[in-house]
Amino acid sequence: MTSYFREHIDFTTGLTTLALVVVGLISIYSATFDAHASDVSVKQLMFAGIGLLILVVMTFLPFKLLQFISYPSYFLSILLLVSVLILGKTVSGSTSWFNLGAFRLQPSEFTKITTALALATYLSRTDVNLQRFNNLAVATGIVLLPTALIMMQPDTGTAMIYAGMFVPVLYWGGATKFTLLSVVAPVAAAVAALFGITPFFITVIVMGLLIYITKENRILAAVVFSATVLVGISVQFIYEGLKPYQQKRIATFLDPNADPLGAGYNVLQSKVAIGSGGLLGKGLLHGSQTQLNFIPEQWTDFIFCVIGEEFGFIGAAVVLGLFVTLLLRGVRLGSIVKNKYGSTLAIAITAIFAVHVFMNVGMSVGLLPVVGVPLPFLSYGGSALLTNMVMIGILMNLYSNRKEY
Amino acid sequence: MSIQDDINIYGKRRVLYAIITLTIFLYLGRLYQLQYIYADEYGKKSEENSIRTIPKEPIRGYVYDRRGRLVVDNRPAFTVSIMPFEFDKRNTDLLASILQVEPAYVRERVKKGEQYNRFVPAKVKRDIDFKILSALEEYRDQLPGVDYQIESKRYYTTPARASHILGYTKEISETQLKSLGEGYTQGDVAGATGLEAQYESALRGQKGAEFSTVNVRGQVVGRFDNGKHDVPSVEGDDLLLTMDFSLQTLAESLFADKRGALIAIDPQNGGILAMLSKPDYDLSLFSGVTPAEIWHSLNTDEAHPLFNRATLTRYPPGSTFKMILAAAALENKIVSPSWRITCGGSFRMGNKIFKDEHVHGSVDMVDAIKRSCNVYFYQLMLKVGLDSWSEYGSKFGFGKPTGVDIYEENPGLLPTTEWMNKRYGENGWTRGFLPSLGIGQGELGVTPLQMALYAMALGNKGHYYRPHAVQGIIRKATHDTVKIAHDQRTISLKEDTWRVIREGMRGVVQEPGGTGGLARVKGVESGGKTGTAQNPHGKSHAWYIGFAPFENPKIAIVAMVENVGYGGSFAAPIAGMCIEQYLYGRLIRFDKDVQAKSPIAQSSLTKEKNITSSSQAKTPGVH
Repeated sequence: MTSYFREHIDFTTGLTTLALVVVGLISIYSATFDAHASDVSVKQLMFAGIGLLILVVMTFLPFKLLQFISYPSYFLSILLLVSVLILGKTVSGSTSWFNLGAFRLQPSEFTKITTALALATYLSRTDVNLQRFNNLAVATGIVLLPTALIMMQPDTGTAMIYAGMFVPVLYWGGATKFTLLSVVAPVAAAVAALFGITPFFITVIVMGLLIYITKENRILAAVVFSATVLVGISVQFIYEGLKPYQQKRIATFLDPNADPLGAGYNVLQSKVAIGSGGLLGKGLLHGSQTQLNFIPEQWTDFIFCVIGEEFGFIGAAVVLGLFVTLLLRGVRLGSIVKNKYGSTLAIAITAIFAVHVFMNVGMSVGLLPVVGVPLPFLSYGGSALLTNMVMIGILMNLYSNRKEY
Repeated sequence: MSIQDDINIYGKRRVLYAIITLTIFLYLGRLYQLQYIYADEYGKKSEENSIRTIPKEPIRGYVYDRRGRLVVDNRPAFTVSIMPFEFDKRNTDLLASILQVEPAYVRERVKKGEQYNRFVPAKVKRDIDFKILSALEEYRDQLPGVDYQIESKRYYTTPARASHILGYTKEISETQLKSLGEGYTQGDVAGATGLEAQYESALRGQKGAEFSTVNVRGQVVGRFDNGKHDVPSVEGDDLLLTMDFSLQTLAESLFADKRGALIAIDPQNGGILAMLSKPDYDLSLFSGVTPAEIWHSLNTDEAHPLFNRATLTRYPPGSTFKMILAAAALENKIVSPSWRITCGGSFRMGNKIFKDEHVHGSVDMVDAIKRSCNVYFYQLMLKVGLDSWSEYGSKFGFGKPTGVDIYEENPGLLPTTEWMNKRYGENGWTRGFLPSLGIGQGELGVTPLQMALYAMALGNKGHYYRPHAVQGIIRKATHDTVKIAHDQRTISLKEDTWRVIREGMRGVVQEPGGTGGLARVKGVESGGKTGTAQNPHGKSHAWYIGFAPFENPKIAIVAMVENVGYGGSFAAPIAGMCIEQYLYGRLIRFDKDVQAKSPIAQSSLTKEKNITSSSQAKTPGVH
């Protein structure tokens, strides 16, 4: 019996997840302690309970069934995204919620899973080869469709998750370096363009060199290179057309000190909170930044500050350690699962977690711009927590069935 | 094909491992930089960062009477507060001894504050005197988290109390904190009764905030960003009352040793000129901190001084109610005004005997009102019946709330057939119940305010205005007076009906044999009606309702004195003096040659009208 469990249950992933959920509940409790939002931690606790149940169900779901529902669930979620655009509830300028009585449902959260499922299903077909253009185009389409719909909400942060998931999956699926570069180069140029002319030129030159080295076909290389330049230039124009709050977010990222009481406020306060935590932290409920609610709605995207301030470097390192365990475990799973569908799915899900963690922590420590991306298991949010639990459940399911073809 | 057949799989895995590990190490490095290398700097920033928000209480709006006299003013008072996060609980005893309160009280306030928000100062004691203030200043360094703010407290400028109508402010309760919502915190003061409660939103104004930078020990280092982000408080708006405080003062003095109520109302618009309920209490007891003993004694006093008898107590109206029956009879043509009976001092119905005070002999309707003959109305009630009587009672506003703008009121009780069936069962009551109702006794219950409006409608022939004590709100920002529109309705009776019942009421005051002669005012013809209401609490309640002048009245009044005896003897003279005060601006009955002077009432009334309309330009010369 014990050996059955050891063989089929991925205790490392399960226990790491549990630890993160507990840390999350404690942090949310602390962040909402004085913010007149005490029901927040109770709600989250409830979602954690439901989430654990779902995790168990997903773990023991017949593997074939998972494969079977991949496409239907993808199309269903696309349908939901379209209808949320039409019927959804607008929260702080973004239409991404469904109202279900007392709870609001965010379909863009669940779509992450269904997109990963659909992508894995497509890429595991024996007749699909990512080196072929039309196969690559279909794979891109699978990811681009929900991305575009979510961009329309508009929810930039979530949209970036899809892009962030796509590159590792392509890499894993056997795309050439040139293919990867043709996805990465325009994005890199676009980001660089926001920093100014010089960074933009440097990036274009570096990308140009890389494209030249990896090129398989001169014409294609020229197309990708010109696309990179064009995207970079047009970003400047798009930036002009952005909504002021979006512009401000970007400008703030570039120089948080410029407007400490405006949009840069969160970044600066977040850094102060983390920095003042020191090595050992100020102790639970004793973080003056957290308790004084200097950062609005800290229990959502800025939850990492609570850990940094109240539990210090040690606490933050432990949390990062838990995440790194989870991510490495996911990649390893990708390499030991026998069938291609499972392998691709494991990498896709791990990539989703990785992008969340990297973007959120990067933002909290002031290394990345402020985009609304939650920290998995720690940030408050029912839909996100349930989605994450489903994804962990799938990883554990894959582990359990890793020897099947 | 197994995934492991891909020869590159382990190479790719290494690359992904490397990316993940490197990114995490990059972040760990950043955390190390923030939390170890720059920890002191950020720690300092975080300390400097403690911006304390000090709420600035708005100045509560002032209250002016109809002549523009300031009646409710504000005075500064010092309030001690504790920020629970910074307060050292070992200092509880020291603070308690300085504030001269029990340590348990301080502990409780700190605990409450903690539950609300540990970083918001919780008010501990209001209105401290100078001695406490200087002691507090002396121990300040030893008492981190303890501070004081200047707040304003109510100050009453006139000798009149007007306790029930003005009302008091009080620290808000937890339920109020929830219901008032936005802009209130624990320890705030809000209107609790009377106009203070009813016009809370206008009077309160808006809280402001001052941002100070505070170090870890809770000491203010300076204004945050030179006060650039401070939000000034906004003063509350002022109330312009319909009340006349000269009249209020006189009325209160006339009730000095009595229990009861008096209301005077402007029959041209329903504005309340005076309203009192005795016994009353001194509002200034509530302006600062109210000691528990005072609360206790006011609450347990068997005379219920906190209770507004004028709007909340249900009394039997006695004979003052007879005009309702007369109106019902005349309107439905049940009898003609010349219908006569012979009063032998009592009325017998079955084996029941209904008494009268006197033997009135042969009386018609006008006589019956004038001399208050019960026998006439016993018989009339049996002819009119319950339904028609209660229909006309309802027309005059009985049995339902008046909609007055003074906090709470009792709707009274006007028995109807439906009510009687419910109360006694369909067969449980007989016509034998009716005669008592006909003379305003029995189940019937009215508030003095309803009676004042009844007098108003009788005086102005059916214009029923919603009673109100506030005619306008003086906006602080613009100094404009925003008039409050009050709805009205008309009780339409036949001209002849009005003539007969009003003639009876004129006789009550003006003619020999009328029961209300003591309400007579020299130089002014008026109408009225006395009532002597039997009740289970002792002697009869003395009632008087009236209006003056008889044509186009300027004042309608009700005076009710509990448990003294005849209305004509006890209530009528009080009402008379009040009418005199209002119309002449003073009491003229002690003057020698009254006849020589014509009433100055007209001119004084015009003058005050000018004042109220000119207040549109600016707050009338006070502050």
